[in-house]
Amino acid sequence: MDWILDYYNWRVVLLFIPEFTKGITATLYISLISLILSLVIGTGVAIMRISTNPFLWRPAAAYIQAIRSTPLLIQIYVIYFSLPALPLLDRRLDELEGGIIALGLNAGAYMSEIIRAGIESVSRGQVEGAQSVGMTYFQRMRHVVLPQAIANVVPPLLGQTSVLIKDSSLVSFIGVFELFGAGLTVLSERLMPTEAFMTVAFGYLVIYAVMLQVSNYAQRKLGGNRP
Amino acid sequence: VIDTISSTLPFLFAGLWMTIKISLVTILCGSLLGFIIGMLRTVGGKPMSMILGIYIHALRGTPFLVHLYVIYFILPTTGISWLQLEAFPAAVIALSLYTSTYVAEIVRAAVDAVPAGQSEAARSTGMTGLQSMWYVVLPQALKLMIPPMGGIYVIIIKGTSIVSVIGIAELVRAGEHATLRHPKELMLIYGMTALMYFAYCYPVLRIARWAETKYGGVRLPS
Repeated sequence: MDWILDYYNWRVVLLFIPEFTKGITATLYISLISLILSLVIGTGVAIMRISTNPFLWRPAAAYIQAIRSTPLLIQIYVIYFSLPALPLLDRRLDELEGGIIALGLNAGAYMSEIIRAGIESVSRGQVEGAQSVGMTYFQRMRHVVLPQAIANVVPPLLGQTSVLIKDSSLVSFIGVFELFGAGLTVLSERLMPTEAFMTVAFGYLVIYAVMLQVSNYAQRKLGGNRP
Repeated sequence: VIDTISSTLPFLFAGLWMTIKISLVTILCGSLLGFIIGMLRTVGGKPMSMILGIYIHALRGTPFLVHLYVIYFILPTTGISWLQLEAFPAAVIALSLYTSTYVAEIVRAAVDAVPAGQSEAARSTGMTGLQSMWYVVLPQALKLMIPPMGGIYVIIIKGTSIVSVIGIAELVRAGEHATLRHPKELMLIYGMTALMYFAYCYPVLRIARWAETKYGGVRLPS
């Protein structure tokens, strides 16, 4: 087995296992928090976007276009470097908070488009039925429309989550330690790019493979019709 | 403030020009490669389709940042002379490979979306499989590919922001340099940079949406 050492020195990689474990945990943690944030933003923006009130749908549309037409890297820079001290917090965002908020805002725009497609896929009769039993707007959304809408779009939402996990590598630019940052650490300490980044790539591939399985399972289980 | 704007604008425009150059070269190479891969996946046999499937999943499963580092830092360590890439070709190759996975999926989805009756009818008039693909299925599939390609183009433009890490003087890099000269005007400079990306991407998105209403089209796989 020693010939492998010339191409991929796994002994060095073993030395850095604590870094890689910390990195992968951080990547999953950052992705999870941004995912929750993006789903909350996405649902809110989707509901605003389908409203007929221009004071609601115009800002929502502007937000979606602004996020979709600029790179995530610039969004991270704007939020982390440029935002002044926040009034309630009384300090500036640190790199982890800035990264998570930027990721959440970015993914939120994409999630809202998916959720909107989900809401539009719920048939009109469902809403009318809920209206006829006297439900208010929020009751209809909460109990009738959103549960069906989300169930219909679980596969694309999971696909967008994979994108979010990959995008989380960009927060290493502002100094957050995550999986890619672990690779950078190995590069700077040992100058071994192959060991550093092949291991990182493998880590992301494992996460991706798990996400793919979850997505396939969800598609079978929910049988949602993709809008 | 006006001083800052007037002194940084020329540099930002130089960066924007670099971004435009990279994205144009990439859309050409990436679409071509993606088209070939997508076609091979649809007409090639099982083993071919499986190998290309692994290629697509491997690239889809890792961040673009990792591809860029693999191509720019790992390939030169192999010692093969033509793999010692300069920053610009490395960036274009990494972006093209990344783009090709999206294009390949679009091509396959578009070809699949053409009703089977079309190719069956073509075969029944005595066309070979290749002829029916070339004369009957592809012309119809190409129309379906146009709208999602707009989305791909925007993904490429946004992807070019990441190649700033390997030292290419594109828009983000130009913005970073500008912030070194005017450290007090961060918000303004990054805002201007974002505005330039917006000015480049927004029309593309609008054209893509217009094309979608005109041609229909397959959905961009996420």
